[in-house]
Amino acid sequence: MSVGLPRLVGARVARREDPRLLTGQGSYVDDHRPARMLYAAFLRSPHAHARIRGLDVSAALALPGVAAVLTGEDIARSSKPVRAASKTPNVKTTSYPPLALGKVRHVGEAVAMVAAESRYVAEDAVERIVVDYEPLPVVRDVESALDPASPVLHDEAETNLLVSREFARGDVDAALAGAAVVVRERFRFHRHTPVCMENRGCLGEYATASGALTLRSSAQCPGLVRDVLADLLDIPEHLIRVIANDVGGGFGAKASLYPEEIATCVMARRLGRPVKWIGDRREDLLATTHAWDEIVDAELGLDQDGAIVGLRAEVTVDVGGYSIYPWTAAIEPVQTISFLPGPYRVPTYRGRTRGVATNKAPLGPYRGVGRPPAVFVIEGLMDRAARRLGLDPTEIRLRNFIRDEDFPYKSPSGVVWDRSSFTESLRRAREALDYKAARDEQARARGAGRWVGIGIASYVELTGIGSAIPVSPGMPVSTGTEAATIRFDPAGKVTAVFGVASHGQGLETTLAQIVADEVGVPIEDVRVVHGDTDASPYGTGTYASRSLVLAGGAAILAGRSVREKMLVIAGHLLEADPADVALADGRYAVRGMPDRSVTVRQIARAAYGGAKQLPKGLEPGLEATRFYDPYYGTASNATHAAMIEIDRATLEVKTLRYVVVEDCGRMVNPLIVDGQVHGGVAQGIGAALLEEIVYDDQGQLLSGTLMDYVVPSACEIPTMEVHHVETPSPVALGGFRGMGEGGTIGAPAAIANAVADALAPLQIEIAELPVTPERLFRLIGKARA
Amino acid sequence: MKPPKFEYHAPKNLEDAIAALGRYGGDAKVLAGGQSLMPLLNFRLARPAALVDLNRVASLAYIREQDGQVRFGAMTRQRTIEFSPVVAERLPLLKEATRWVGHLPIRTRGTIGGSIAHADPSAEYPAVLAALEGEVVARGLEGERVIRAAELFQTYLTTNLAPDEILTEVRLPVMPAGAGYALEEFSRRHGDFAIIGIAAVVVRSGQRCTMARLATAGAGPVPVRLRAAEQILEREGLGEAALDAAARKATELVDPDADIHASADYRRHLTGVLTKRALMRAIGVARG
Amino acid sequence: MADLVTVRLKVNGVEHEGRCEPRKLLVDFIREDLALTGTHVGCEHGICGACTILFNGEAARSCIMLAVQAEGAELVTVEGLMRDGKLHPLQEAFREHHGLQCGFCTPGMLMTALDFLRTNPAPSEREIREGISAVLCRCTGYQGIVNAVRAAAPVLAAER
Repeated sequence: MSVGLPRLVGARVARREDPRLLTGQGSYVDDHRPARMLYAAFLRSPHAHARIRGLDVSAALALPGVAAVLTGEDIARSSKPVRAASKTPNVKTTSYPPLALGKVRHVGEAVAMVAAESRYVAEDAVERIVVDYEPLPVVRDVESALDPASPVLHDEAETNLLVSREFARGDVDAALAGAAVVVRERFRFHRHTPVCMENRGCLGEYATASGALTLRSSAQCPGLVRDVLADLLDIPEHLIRVIANDVGGGFGAKASLYPEEIATCVMARRLGRPVKWIGDRREDLLATTHAWDEIVDAELGLDQDGAIVGLRAEVTVDVGGYSIYPWTAAIEPVQTISFLPGPYRVPTYRGRTRGVATNKAPLGPYRGVGRPPAVFVIEGLMDRAARRLGLDPTEIRLRNFIRDEDFPYKSPSGVVWDRSSFTESLRRAREALDYKAARDEQARARGAGRWVGIGIASYVELTGIGSAIPVSPGMPVSTGTEAATIRFDPAGKVTAVFGVASHGQGLETTLAQIVADEVGVPIEDVRVVHGDTDASPYGTGTYASRSLVLAGGAAILAGRSVREKMLVIAGHLLEADPADVALADGRYAVRGMPDRSVTVRQIARAAYGGAKQLPKGLEPGLEATRFYDPYYGTASNATHAAMIEIDRATLEVKTLRYVVVEDCGRMVNPLIVDGQVHGGVAQGIGAALLEEIVYDDQGQLLSGTLMDYVVPSACEIPTMEVHHVETPSPVALGGFRGMGEGGTIGAPAAIANAVADALAPLQIEIAELPVTPERLFRLIGKARA
Repeated sequence: MKPPKFEYHAPKNLEDAIAALGRYGGDAKVLAGGQSLMPLLNFRLARPAALVDLNRVASLAYIREQDGQVRFGAMTRQRTIEFSPVVAERLPLLKEATRWVGHLPIRTRGTIGGSIAHADPSAEYPAVLAALEGEVVARGLEGERVIRAAELFQTYLTTNLAPDEILTEVRLPVMPAGAGYALEEFSRRHGDFAIIGIAAVVVRSGQRCTMARLATAGAGPVPVRLRAAEQILEREGLGEAALDAAARKATELVDPDADIHASADYRRHLTGVLTKRALMRAIGVARG
Repeated sequence: MADLVTVRLKVNGVEHEGRCEPRKLLVDFIREDLALTGTHVGCEHGICGACTILFNGEAARSCIMLAVQAEGAELVTVEGLMRDGKLHPLQEAFREHHGLQCGFCTPGMLMTALDFLRTNPAPSEREIREGISAVLCRCTGYQGIVNAVRAAAPVLAAER
């Protein structure tokens, strides 16, 4: 009697990653110390904008324990500068040298690199480097950047306007001119930064004899990094190995190629010794890519019944000093206008976007990319329209959602939504919140003089994107494919290898669940390998909510291929037609005759056991590599509902309840889905209430410590109630949809709308995030004056 | 973020510690709990030629009651204070304030002497010292002296301790039996420094107030005793009108600075809000 | 070199000795000289808590301590939690309740939670959140961690 194997996809399986991470046996970059390793430190610019007239490293070199010092000139001899060239027009490429060459463009930009026997000595040496800077006028914000009198950051661009793009449909000007109601607002979403708990770092080793380069990096995209390093360093690709083992958080911060990675490789090659750089928190706040720094002037036109007739927006994004690789400076500006229409039927639209260079750290991807600000805008406009029309905010959304019969729906920016459950998510959120009771509670609280608000945010995001659409429009790298290799060993255990790179989202578990189900083994018998370009078939990494869809799809294809062969071998062993054999309950059995069966182990042993064990002509071995490109993307949606209270005296915002109803298609592991929602919402609440990157007029970073850039602790985050709708994706194999970014996409808008709702009696709108007590103090002071 | 080089001394007794400090003529720093100094060293914002580590001077950690005061050796850990029965009974305001000092792991190492000598005006202990009208004992090459709270704090991170002086003891008068007390604090995040904090002590007799003490954290370069606000209560009692008047007066007595977290106006506003809240809570606890 | 100091200490029940500069941080000594890389460096200014260890039985941030200050001390790091090759009940609870994702804050979170539960064996949810607010996590939104600590509390209390 065989024991049935539980179906793993859909089950709350405890994570395979946990035992090592819980016991301090993780393998993060800084845990590696190969023999003869040197430690690196960077000299970073104290100026936001300056010419480098000269550099004197002699005192640094003279310090005992220092092995080498590199400058921009040194690097330029060994590496090309990074250029994120875009395929779309009106996106300027900037030259991004790994160490500043001739000029610095933001405070914290790397200017020189020291390799020494300890990080302590390296920092001592950094202090002895003398740089002759000629300060230049600081381009402190987008307004001054666009002023013709301001200096241009990149001569080759000839302008600080690095990105221009527009999406349009229909005649939105006419629609708005004729609309019964138009609401408009200037929205400001301030600069943020991801703050992964593990700072960035990398370890480069160059084997002089073979010319092979190995880079361990706290990175999300090892495949991508390998490809570009080959070009920059002129080393053949097959001699470069990039490894991202355990990575302590990514959120997009570690998805770009960084100057420090290139410089570390150059230093390692120069010295023929391993070189490790581990960033500290000061460097993280200064030089890890920042996010979401946008001004959006937007107008929404509706008819008398609250149906949208048009949406018009001008988006200006402060993209900082450089266009990053591979996403380009266009990623944030263009994603914002791509997704501004949200889950609504928007008949006419114009979204215009600009990406403007300033003397700040470069902007890069951060969980949600463009959509946290976009949803803040559209959901803020919807609430304003609801107030103007006297409609309930959930009602106005229900009236405008793309409906079941509209799918597939082409949005005004050209994005196609395959199928999703906007209406159902919102309805279930109302139920979960007990909306009527919540409104009654709010009315009672108001009567008692308390400022209680309820905020709703509904959004849709495009996930699991195949090669039809670049993750960042115009980017120089193709991101639409991932691969899986499933390999049995003769004992019947499976190694499944992928090009994605898990950094907290549990892919070692979820991909194992998929593989185990496909080939019929217990999950303990599957080992997932990821994040190592030597091991994996071609892939780029983990970003843009794609891994489960693309790698999961490849796993299904590879699993099918392997299972086909297993059926053939099983048929041979059972002396039956393979068409009559099926996988059931962990065994391969003749249909209808459960006693005529073989185990996986027996099949695997036969596969490697020589010609006598196999049907005539069948090649030995039991493995398959398959590639998957879903071609399109697939929609995920959620509705967030927040109930907050503002302390009338201190103006602190407390979150009383937080409800999420989300649809990410067929869930592989609900435990992990919940965790992703929790983490994303926490970052979104932090973004809405606490976190802000602040520069002064001279481009000096004022929020340079974790006391000043305030990420939430457990006391600032509520208990979240998370519910799921499962609409299997019609596009993606397995019915999966991506969902890791949803929390930050919905939460800032939900919080902003809740705060505005609380202040509705004072007629105060929330158009700026983070909405801190200080900002509320000013808004209320103004309203009362 | 690694510290720069320094010479390191870990004396076993106070005399050696003072002598070590004296040798460097002001270019040495005392290392107590390290919760404030070590971050400065790691950022290389502090670059002393030497550290004089007091953690091996066993004689500096004690809590004893004497002459109507509770006296703390400077190296007494905040964590010890948090769980001390003597403090719970004699100085309940200090116990409450201690729970606001960072987080438990910080209090494991942080000391009362270190916190007060560091003189961060946003910290809780300097405000409590001011509210309770405590004093500290300092010893240097010239001998020992007692410094009252009102004289100790000069400006941000600056006391009137001489370069060779070590703060050895903190003395707080035992709170009157039945006194009401509260520490009200507002910060961006639990455990952070106060944007504004108010330490309050109230001794009542019915609706009359026989003693009121109010001191601030975060409202300027040093803790501010809100004496004029105290006097309103001592004159007019503990009714709503008097509390409002005291809170209003508090906002007039402070001249807060601005930073990226809060403007001066908002800090001033918070001063009034938290003064009232602290007083109401203190009154609720007071017996008499 | 004249400026090195010797540090003798006990870590996870085992005696160790090392030599280092006085300025060497305790977290670096643990990770490099003792090769115990489970304790992590997150901020080096005492805010994030990833470096938390037990120092003579009490949680302390090793990034703002000097190695030399650990002379004669007894430390417990995350590597010292397992019992006879099995997960400590707190580790088990974290696994069951998805109290970790990237794992980087986890060692600091475990040591902090352990110390917290010793001072408060039957905490409310509010108290748990206050207790773990000492450690910053960017992945979990804290919910799984709160659930894990809540589940582990009675198990650990029963053991004492």
